[in-house]
Amino acid sequence: MASGVKALEHSSLKVPYEILNKKFRVAQKTIDREVSHVMQATSELEKCLEGSSATVGKVVGLLDGVIEKLTGLKRKAEEAILAEDDSAKVCKRRIEHLKLHDSEQPSTVIQWKKKRLDRMLVEHFLRCGYYNTAIKLAKHSGIEDYTNIDLFLVSKEVEESLKRHETAPCLAWCHDNKSKLRKMKLTLTSVVTKMSTLEFNLRTQEFIELVRGNHRLDAVKHARKYFSQVDPEQMPEVQRIMGLLAYPPDTQVQPYKDFYEPSRWDAMVQQFQWENFKIHQISNYSVFCLTLQAGLSSLKTPHCYRDPESNYRNSQCPVCSKQMNELAKPLPFSHCAQSRLICNISGQIMNENNPPMMMPNGNVYGETALLAMAAENGGKVVCPRTKDTYTIDQVEKVFVM
Amino acid sequence: MDSSDKKLPKMDSCVNVEREVDKVLSKFAAVGDHSSRTLQDLVEHISNIRKELSEGNNDSDVTATQSLVLNQCLKKVKDTCQRLSNDHKDLHSSVSKVGKAIDRNFIQDISACSVEGAFVGVEKRSLLNEVICEHFFRQGMLDIGEQLIQDARLQIDEAQKEPFFELNRILEALKEHNLFPALEWAKRNRERLQQQSSALEFKLHRLHFIELLKGGPARQMEALLYSRNFEPFAYHHAKEIQTLMGSLLYVQQGVHNSPYLHLLDPIHWLDICDVFTRDACQLLGLSVESPLSVAFAAGCISLPSLLNINHVMKQRQCTNVWNQKDELPIEIDLGGETRYHSIFACPILRQQTTETNPPVRLVCGHVISRDALNKLNTNNKVKCPYCPMEQNAVDARPVQF
Repeated sequence: MASGVKALEHSSLKVPYEILNKKFRVAQKTIDREVSHVMQATSELEKCLEGSSATVGKVVGLLDGVIEKLTGLKRKAEEAILAEDDSAKVCKRRIEHLKLHDSEQPSTVIQWKKKRLDRMLVEHFLRCGYYNTAIKLAKHSGIEDYTNIDLFLVSKEVEESLKRHETAPCLAWCHDNKSKLRKMKLTLTSVVTKMSTLEFNLRTQEFIELVRGNHRLDAVKHARKYFSQVDPEQMPEVQRIMGLLAYPPDTQVQPYKDFYEPSRWDAMVQQFQWENFKIHQISNYSVFCLTLQAGLSSLKTPHCYRDPESNYRNSQCPVCSKQMNELAKPLPFSHCAQSRLICNISGQIMNENNPPMMMPNGNVYGETALLAMAAENGGKVVCPRTKDTYTIDQVEKVFVM
Repeated sequence: MDSSDKKLPKMDSCVNVEREVDKVLSKFAAVGDHSSRTLQDLVEHISNIRKELSEGNNDSDVTATQSLVLNQCLKKVKDTCQRLSNDHKDLHSSVSKVGKAIDRNFIQDISACSVEGAFVGVEKRSLLNEVICEHFFRQGMLDIGEQLIQDARLQIDEAQKEPFFELNRILEALKEHNLFPALEWAKRNRERLQQQSSALEFKLHRLHFIELLKGGPARQMEALLYSRNFEPFAYHHAKEIQTLMGSLLYVQQGVHNSPYLHLLDPIHWLDICDVFTRDACQLLGLSVESPLSVAFAAGCISLPSLLNINHVMKQRQCTNVWNQKDELPIEIDLGGETRYHSIFACPILRQQTTETNPPVRLVCGHVISRDALNKLNTNNKVKCPYCPMEQNAVDARPVQF
């Protein structure tokens, strides 16, 4: 039986893991680089020793070089290992928090569940771009450590720069994540590409902007610099773009009219978001929304959609509330193979202890509620749906199997 | 679910991942310590050699012995550095095991159980935001609600927020043992509260009276005067009023030493918060619990089951769980408190009744669906499937639960 944790928390752990993995690779690179510096210094000294004129002064000088590089290696290695250790601790903290879900203390579990909703809401807000709300909520609920706010704030900057029609921050981001992007298989608009096209598209956009600004010579230089080594797959695209040089910005000729569309920038934002989610293992959907859908479905009954005046709706039921009622419309109803009866007067379950009783008008209520009503009204009972009044002995038992 | 889950049903997903993270952490610590120490030793060792060397004449040639010592030392440097790099590289398998453990123990893709596009579009999005916003107001997180309104550019009437603000103000006061805002509210709504037979106002007065009792003999006169406030409730709460007045007998020796000790139980203060929330929400036509919290919690329970069944159905090559019918494929037990509507499932046809196929009560009292009745009907005679009574089919009466 899968637990809620198992179903909902994959990205709560996978995202910090991806960061850990990245930090590990950065650390390895740093160490290797520093090691090669040390190696270089040692081989210089070795060469000197092999030669005929190795004076003490020269050797001491070279030896100082080795010490310097070794100290450098020590410092950089310590820093790098500390950084990866920190990101492993982020994973550890999240697991420790998740483990509270089956704590033996009921109050801990209640608090944990409250925080779970807040965590999922924060993630949802970040995804929608409601950054301030996300930050405030995380702070209020003390869950900053368990959310991916930092990651989203980096992407926020890139998105905003793209909206300002700047490419530099996004290109820097591409450079940062070069190896991951190169390995990424993407399915965008039914075209499967071998690797990310984000950088290529950014360069294309720069080219378009140069042509739009009538800097055609610069545009050609730009194209020479960035398009000459593109993947052969992209060659037809490059040729099409080069054609743009022949058309003015107000052209009606396709596809060149589309190239000049400012909405291309929005598409860039979209593509960046997708690729950012993808390399950080963030799912493309909001866990909050999916969970809410499942919840609404499992609560949804045909009664929730009967005439509001008919008294079949229940103000305690989430699906009967105004907005959720609308939201749940396209979702499937709950499934019920076994009758479960709730007394419309008291909200209590009707069973052998509170048998269902039928009024002459066909409405069924729990015995407990009807007896209480009869005791207060001198043996009379009023149907809350129709306001019909009967005496308690007109009410008949019904048997529900 | 994956196969490892079946083999180790008791193993907690979090614990499995935690084990791998702990390994990584201890390895980071070991590699970090080891590299710092060996590099430090190495630097000291070389510094000593350098010191010895520099004691000689700078221009003299390095002796064969010195050269040998230096070469040995350099070999050590190279070995150490190479080992450091390799040691760190070896961590890679431990690090990637964390990622694999996460993928194995948590479900990566839960989108199979969603209705595509259910929450998509400007209208749906703003409905969802309204729901979330109301949730914040209800929880007293007013600043976060306001921030969401700003971030999501929501249009929410001040009139819609006001009741929540008031309720929160009163609840905050109650938590600080201040009864006056609640009393003032209850008096203002006395008539409607009485209609829903709420004991709120009486309970508030009672608490105030008890607080006066705690003040001892110095305040007994005040308590006596305050008891006049009980008058309007004499009819419904006569017995409790007697108890309260009886406690006055023990003011001299202290109520805590009397049979009326239970009056001082701090649980009354917790209780009054619940009573207030319940009665006030009912009066305002709101649910007691936040609909968002309830629906999300239901989703946390139902989503894992739905993913499970989806997995099984996929294996047997059934079609998509959610789009197959207008109903979820399985019954989900959300626990007793989250049932809001009666559902009658025909015990013969094993399906929920609908408005076109309503439940009917046979003369003997057994309830089946209209379709089942039609199937059992021969020449207008029906034999009840649960008791041997034979009866006319036309005598069956439709019922509403």
